[in-house]
This record gives sequence, structure tokens and C-alpha cells, in this order.
Amino acid sequence: MRDITLSKAVNEAIAEEMRRDPTIFLIGEDVAEAGTPFKVLSGLVEEFGPERIIDTPIAEPGFMGIAVGAAMTGSRPIVDLMFGDFLFLVMDQLCNQAAKTHYMSGGKLNVPLVLRTNLGATRRSAAQHSQSLHALVAHIPGLKVAMPSSAYEAKGLMKTAIRDNNPVVIFEDKLMYNDKSPVPEGEYLIPFGQANIKREGTDITLIGTSSMVQVAERAAELLAAEGISAEVIDPRTIVPLDEETILRSVRKTSRAIVIDEGHQSYGITGEIASRIMEKAFYHLDGPVIRMGAMDVPVPFSPALEDVTVPTPEGVAENARRLMRGEMFHAA
Amino acid sequence: MPALGMAQETGLIVSWLKQPGDAVRTGEALMEVETDKAVMEVEALADGFLSDVRAAPGESVPVGQVVAMIADSADVVPATQIRPVGTEPAAAAAPVALPEGQNIIMPALGMAQETGRVVSWAKVPGEAVAADDVLLEVETDKSTMEVPAGHDGFVAALLAEAGQDVPVGDVIAIITASKPDAPIQARAAAHSAVSEPTPVAPTAPAPHRALEAVVAPDGRILASPKARRLAAEEGLDLGRLVAAGHKQPFHVTDLETLRNLSVTQVDASILPVSAAPATMMHAAHQIGARAPLAGTIDFLARMEAEAGITLPPDTLWARFAAEAYRAAAGVAEIMVEVAALGADPRRIANPDRARLSDQSEDTSGRPAALILRDLTASPITTMRVGPSTAPILSIGKDGESYLLTLDFTDGQLSEDAAIAFITGFAGRLSEPLLHMI
Repeated sequence: MRDITLSKAVNEAIAEEMRRDPTIFLIGEDVAEAGTPFKVLSGLVEEFGPERIIDTPIAEPGFMGIAVGAAMTGSRPIVDLMFGDFLFLVMDQLCNQAAKTHYMSGGKLNVPLVLRTNLGATRRSAAQHSQSLHALVAHIPGLKVAMPSSAYEAKGLMKTAIRDNNPVVIFEDKLMYNDKSPVPEGEYLIPFGQANIKREGTDITLIGTSSMVQVAERAAELLAAEGISAEVIDPRTIVPLDEETILRSVRKTSRAIVIDEGHQSYGITGEIASRIMEKAFYHLDGPVIRMGAMDVPVPFSPALEDVTVPTPEGVAENARRLMRGEMFHAA
Repeated sequence: MPALGMAQETGLIVSWLKQPGDAVRTGEALMEVETDKAVMEVEALADGFLSDVRAAPGESVPVGQVVAMIADSADVVPATQIRPVGTEPAAAAAPVALPEGQNIIMPALGMAQETGRVVSWAKVPGEAVAADDVLLEVETDKSTMEVPAGHDGFVAALLAEAGQDVPVGDVIAIITASKPDAPIQARAAAHSAVSEPTPVAPTAPAPHRALEAVVAPDGRILASPKARRLAAEEGLDLGRLVAAGHKQPFHVTDLETLRNLSVTQVDASILPVSAAPATMMHAAHQIGARAPLAGTIDFLARMEAEAGITLPPDTLWARFAAEAYRAAAGVAEIMVEVAALGADPRRIANPDRARLSDQSEDTSGRPAALILRDLTASPITTMRVGPSTAPILSIGKDGESYLLTLDFTDGQLSEDAAIAFITGFAGRLSEPLLHMI
């Protein structure tokens, strides 16, 4: 198996699917010649032409609306939203239209649309280009939400997203585009709603999403050196969520920390922690700990920005405190 | 040439806002640069004099390339005096004779990149190099990349060592057109003034109040849901952990301690026990204590030898219990029920006011105020059978000691009275003769 970057994996997934299915087109800002600011889509316009790799003006609500309409009428659009922060601009098209059309048309219309965008702070991109807003869309019934944690997941989940007959929002971590991981040469798909146990352990369950999977894995290494065996779980899609794998793990370990880069309040960490508490309560030997991004606008100052997101050291420290049976209090 | 846009590879110099020789201050606009997105003014990053302007208006310059220098004096600085990477201006006092040629700078490979680490040089000083040849490997916080030489010629100087972090834009190598006579390889010692990247202070975890031993104000035992469930399943009493002085909240690991905790390990200094949740079907409080067997045995033996009276031990216990209970609870009348395991219980009214040999059974049907449970003939050391109408004092045996366990509820005895009662009872058992006199 070769190692390729996450960026290349996404590119391959889209190219393979576009070769397979002529109804697929891609639309967004700077997607053609520029290949996106992150160069993820480089080379696609050369192969598929400007009719299928469509550059738009800076007008997110417009091209999102176009894509939703196209999806209802037989195309399979992939919308490229340059930054996850721009989700706020397409909320009506995505949440009121795309998410509800199948339901409201009594199943007569499908919206096979993929919205690919990104999340992730610590890139010095300031408060309006650094948010992790996946919780916003995960809240809306009718939308599926995928969060790849490596190149392997990015390719397999993207292909599944493209073939899904429902709107899927896929969040890539913009800091991981150059991260390499083994990706098979041959075709593969990763089904939605199937978590991946990245590392087996017996003492504590660390559930991480997107790049927080790496944070959890590094924390697990720190803990292993101290004799604490951490299990790391990557849900891969938060809608649908593979609750059973998470619950099975927590029933085994009795302890859990949920790590996600969205703001901690009213976010994914709270949702997953709550499900664990409801469904594995009598297996818990300590509180389920949430570790999200600080509830502040993401600072531009690198020194400040770096402390707003969970770190392996922070996760390991909370794990140690759980193992010691310490009580947690709100700060 | 700064990177002003995300995907920017080059910048077009629209105009210079300062002329060579002009004094400039940090923050002053130096030039206008156009990218594919916008035209922006670029500010000076240092005080000094604009010199050595290398790009003219209308010229498109790759990001990271030097477009001008800011010198300490108005005189144009010759290229040979370009500071090698990392050396402070003071170090220029010992001038490094650098060859004249194409300066290779640390490139900006990432957007927010401030420094790059030289992983390795692919060429050695003096070696011929083509523009496309890999010159070095650079590592940023994101990735490691190979950087081509960019110019044909010879490596005349390598100004940074493998492993060194170099600010973006600093000159790291010089490529000359002709083979250099004395190629230069910078050594770490030559860069003693290299500024270390400012270490980011390790993020201290937010201070948490770790309350080691917590007791809920209402006396509820604090335990994890799993510990509470397992304790209930196994019939373990978390209250005994409290009695033994273990710290709350309890977790599953504490259950192992609890399983190994026999009553014998309960501190003889008698500890009060917190209330269990009201839903749990047992007495709300429990106190454990111990007393030596010898006191009772010796006393009964003496009674038999000297007065010819043979007494079962529970007559003595009933008397002592009534005495101690009366003193502790301040009651006028006391009905004591004595119940040996497997035998019918019998009730004695005020046993402390009758002769030991004359404790007649009370058959009036009045309820017992105190129940004495004799476990000494059984292997059981302590038992709890659920809420009772009266406090239960269980007497078990362990080696040379009686194990005393008092179960009671809030409505029956106050904690202070319960402690006084069991303390008084244990004291009497230790020295029966003293208390009979």
C-alpha cells in the first residue's frame, strides 16, 4: 500500500467517481485553475473540463442553491465550500432545502449532494476561517456528516458520500491536507455509521473526531508509557453515529473522554457524552469528560490560538485524573 | 516577497513607495504588491534605510524571494555583506567573507510558517548543482519537503546546518556560477547567536479542585454508578468503606478493598457511618466495634466458681446493653430483646435493674427498644437484614474478640447517642467486674 496525502486521497476519490458517473459535477470558488487554496482539486479541471469543474464568483448562497436544484433534477453535485466558516452563508439552501426536500416531497425527490468543506484551528487564520462548525449541521435531521481522520478515511468516506442519495456534509481538517497515510491502490468505500477502533485498550475510552483522533492516539501513547491502557475510537461519521461501538467500549473500560474540535458548549462532545451517560450509566466508574475547543472566537495570536484546542497532554492529564478517581468540577 | 494570499506563488510589484536610501520605519508602507486577489501595501519589518532594491515595478517575484534590503545606513549594502542566517548584526563585526552569487533563502512552504528546519543538505559545498536538483530537505510543522536549488552553478556556501531552524527568508545557501575556491560550510559554533525559536510555554492544565475526600452534606455516600451497581449486585455495603475511613467518592477499585474488609478491620475507635440511600433496604446507619472475649468468659467463670451460679452470656449482655443504652439515650424504661441465631427471641424489661440470675421473660407483648443478636455460636460475624423497629446490636466472634455491630436509623438514635451506647457497651464487656460493683 502506498502512502498518500489526505489532499491527494480526496482528489482521487472525486476523480474516480467522476470517471464512473457523468452526472457528477463539482462547483465552488477557486476549484478549477486554482484547485482550491489547499490544492486539493489540482488537475481535475484538466481532466473533466470547466463544464464539470465549475468556478463560481464569490457567492456561496448562489452556487449552493444551484447545486441543490441540480441534485433534485438528476445531477450529483459536489459543492466545494472553501472554509467551513462559510456554512453560515448556505444555511437555508442546505438546512431548509437540501435536508428537507426528500421528506417534504413525500420521497419523490432526492438530493444526492455532497458539500465538502473543512474545519480546524491553529492555522493562524483568525476567527472567521478557523471554526469547526460540524455540530451546526449534525443538528439538522436529513443531513449526514462525515469527519475523516486520515487520508484513508477521506477517500473511502468521500466515495460513499458521492454515492449516497442524500445530502452529505464532509468536513476535512485543513491542517491535515499534507498528512500522509497508507491508502490502497484499489477501490474501496467506507460505509457510514461504522466507527473504527484505532487502538484497543482496557482502562479508558478516548473518542475523537477528525484530527482529534490523532490527538487521542498520541494521548494513548503517553498513557501507555504510564501503564494506562486507552482505547481510541474514531466514529468517522457523526451522523449516523455508531453508538454501539462506543457503548461496547465504554462498558468495557468504564471511563470515557470525548474529544472534538468544535466549541465545547452545545457540541458533538456533549452529544456523545450524553448518549454514553444515558445508555451505559451503570457501567461508568467516573464522569464522561468532554474536551472541545474553548468557547471563544478562535484567536489570531498563535500563542492564544494554540491553547484553545485539545492537546494530547491535556487529554492524558484528564485520563490520569479519571484513573485516580478524582472529582471533576466545572472551572 | 511576502505571501499575501493563500495560494499565492508570486507577487507583482505595482510600485515602490520608498526610494533606495530613504529612511523607513517599522510599519511604514514600503511597496504595493498585487496578487490574483488584491493589491496590498507591504510594510517595512525593520527600521533603517531602503537599499539593494532588486525588483522593479511591474516585475513578478516568487514568494519568499528577497526584493530589497533594509540597511543600518543610507549607503547601499553590497550583496557580500548580507547577513548569513541567524547571525545578529553584532556578529557582523567578524565579517564572514561570503562568496558572491545567488542567495538561496529559506522558503515559505506553509501559510503560517515562520521558520523552517533544515533536515538535510542534498549537496555538499563545492558540488555542482542544477536548478532542478534537490538542494535540501526542509521540515515545517506540517510536512517535510524537498527544495530545489533554483539556479545552476556550484554550491559556494551552506549557511545553515542540518537540524537548524531558520526564519523564512533568511539566506541559507549561495550558488555561484563558477566553482568556488573555498566553499563554506557553516558550523553550529559559527551560529552561536542563532536565535532559538521562542518556546511556547507548555500549556498548564487549568487548575481543578481535586477534592480527595468528599462527604456529601446530607450523608449520602458518593460512589460511581458502576461501583454502586456492583456493590448492590454483590450485596456489599459501601457504608463499611466509610466506616473504615476510606476516601469518597468510591470507584470500582474500592470494591476490592470492601470485599477484603471484614468487620475485624473496622477501627476499634468506632466510626460513624453515613446514611445509605433511602431506597436501599437496610438500616440507615451502622457502627462497628470490638471487645475482648476474656472479660465475659472470666466473669462468668468466677460467678460459677464463687457463687455457684451458671449464667448464659446473653444475660450479662442484656444487662450491660440496657445500662449503656439508658445512659446514652436517656430513657426511663427499656425492653431488650435477646435473639440467638436459630432460637426464639425473648424479651426482658429493664434487665439492668434485675439480678443477673433473675432476668424473667416479659410476655406483655410490648415492643423491644433494643435488639441483641447473638451470633457467637455461628460463623457469621455481622449481618444486616433490613430496617428494624429497634436498633440492633449484633454480637459476633472473631478470634479473641467480640465483634459488635450496631444498626440503627435516624429516628431511633442520634449518632452521638449511638456512639455513646456502643462505646459504653464495649467498655463494660471489657471490664465486667468493674461495672458490676
